[in-house]
Amino acid sequence: MIRELYRQRALVAAFANRDFATRYRSSVLGWAWSLLQPLATLLVYAAVFSLVFRIQAPPLGSDPERTNFAAFLFTGMVTFNLFSGLLMLSMTQLKSNGELLRKVHFPAWTPILGASMVQLVQVALEIVVLIAMYLFIGNIGITWLLAVPVLIATAFFGQGIGLMLSVVNARYGDVQYIVQVILQALYFLTPILYPLTLVEGTADWLATMVKANPLTWFVETMHQVMYSLVVPQWWVIPGLLVFGFTVFWAGFTIFNRSSEDIGELL
Amino acid sequence: MSVPYAVELEGVGKRFLRHADRRNTLKERIVRGRSRTTQDFWAVKDVNVQIPQGSVYGLIGHNGSGKSTLLKLITGIYRPTEGRISAQGRVAALIELGAGFHPDMTGRENIRLNGSILGLSKAEIESAMETIIDFSGLRDFIDDPVKHYSSGMYVRLGFSVAVHMKPDVLLVDEVLAVGDEEFQRKCFDHLYTLRRQGRTIVVVSHGLGQLEGLCDEVAWLDHGTVQEIGPATEVIGSYLHQVNTEEAKANADIAATRDDTTMRAGSGTIRSTGVRLVDEAQNPINHTETGTTFGIEVDLHCYEEVLGPNVRLAFQHETGALVTMMSNHRHGFDFGHIDGERMVTALLTDNPLLPGRYRVHIDIFDHTGSVLIDNWDDALEFTVRSPRGEIGQGFVELPYTYEIT
Repeated sequence: MIRELYRQRALVAAFANRDFATRYRSSVLGWAWSLLQPLATLLVYAAVFSLVFRIQAPPLGSDPERTNFAAFLFTGMVTFNLFSGLLMLSMTQLKSNGELLRKVHFPAWTPILGASMVQLVQVALEIVVLIAMYLFIGNIGITWLLAVPVLIATAFFGQGIGLMLSVVNARYGDVQYIVQVILQALYFLTPILYPLTLVEGTADWLATMVKANPLTWFVETMHQVMYSLVVPQWWVIPGLLVFGFTVFWAGFTIFNRSSEDIGELL
Repeated sequence: MSVPYAVELEGVGKRFLRHADRRNTLKERIVRGRSRTTQDFWAVKDVNVQIPQGSVYGLIGHNGSGKSTLLKLITGIYRPTEGRISAQGRVAALIELGAGFHPDMTGRENIRLNGSILGLSKAEIESAMETIIDFSGLRDFIDDPVKHYSSGMYVRLGFSVAVHMKPDVLLVDEVLAVGDEEFQRKCFDHLYTLRRQGRTIVVVSHGLGQLEGLCDEVAWLDHGTVQEIGPATEVIGSYLHQVNTEEAKANADIAATRDDTTMRAGSGTIRSTGVRLVDEAQNPINHTETGTTFGIEVDLHCYEEVLGPNVRLAFQHETGALVTMMSNHRHGFDFGHIDGERMVTALLTDNPLLPGRYRVHIDIFDHTGSVLIDNWDDALEFTVRSPRGEIGQGFVELPYTYEIT
């Protein structure tokens, strides 16, 4: 798999270039738009959930006396968006490159990974904003470095699921709408808008569901290293990496096996 | 030593499933289960073809005979349902030119993208870049987004990219009819160059004349199976023969239902009611050959006695050019008074017409040559073939001799 990925790097880069060049070519503010949407969501959610529902964020790592709901919320959002962004984008790639795939023979996963590269740039921008937020409130720590492997694991996880679902979506066009609904439910079943401690006091089945949700593991670890500035138990991050890689490997393998007839399917 | 094969197909078949009602959405799939009314449809079946390295190979056949499916199988877009396909080296297809072009990107950016998709490294693309731009003749527009290109420019760029990818096997599907005359000629020149370089070319085309000149070998496909394989002229000859036979049958059916003499221009004292292509022995034929003798018979029905009419036969080439106009007046032949049912025969000895399709228009003028009596456009259409199978350039063979001193 790795050799295959390496051999096609030029093609993936070519598709990334194409998507990169064309994504915001006809809009004036360009990349600024890509930040507008998550920031607007952040603003609305932060206001509603901290002021109306009075949800308390856990204490900050730098100063246990203080909390910051917006920073807590945005940390979770960035992580979740990394996953869902890659997933949703990957799923629609086969359709949008259908013209090409029906006429030229080349590995069908290359435009998917190319598009994902551009999505990663967008996530990087969000992370820059996140870091700026933490710098502003003075919540800084060496544990930040641990966020890198967590984000990598998240990306592989999202990409793996995206590859699996993209072939299904090419066959049955309504899969992407179902996935959209599921992602929305997952968003609320992940401790993004509330700390995990809040669910522990509720019904058992709800707490179990939240804890069984793999995204909870990723988001919680991000909260630990970025917000609470604590080092997770030693096995957590390697575990997440193994999990992410495994899902990606499975996704890639399933994709290659089921996309051989993609030229006819589209 | 035998020539190695660039492409080999062994017992290749491709089956498509035709769903009478395709379940396109998940809901339908779940609610109604697996579609039961599937029909098998073999687009190609039992195809055995060996394409020698460095040859130009043609695929002919009517629409839907499986030619394009075969090309898609060779490129790998389709997988064969049965049989085995092997191709040596890089296969590039000119199936749909500019398929991967993105309208928002410039010509240059699209060359890079298309090159990558066709399997070239960055260095290879950059080194070919200038040649591609020059070949396309679009240097002035190469940094404009291709959405501003005309469709002709689009295709020219696509062709330029594809042929400069240095493919070992180049598949060409009906794309030679692109661009203007000058560009087409450039494309052909380039195909000949590729051929000289020992690259293999597989062409699908309906331009049989083009194929005859370009191909070494031709396979004729009919409803997905190979009818005949062999030297280009032979196979194209037998294909044409079949087409002609079918067409003659169809034409006879049409002629039987057509009686439009009342709709024609002219005074109508004479109407030409029938026209036939005949051989020396006056047997009806549907095609003739360069250098043979043939005749055109025209049946006339005179409604009253007419003095010395001029019956003219205009020969029009398939390109639209008027080749010649035969006229009994110009020949100094006066029919005198004619009446009733008559038949005029124009006999051509040593037929100078070169291979191609010709149409005959008939008109009849009175003895002064100024009053139109009858006018029958598209009265007859026939094919001229070459006895030796070679392609002539132009319309007619002039009588000439060569000398060297």
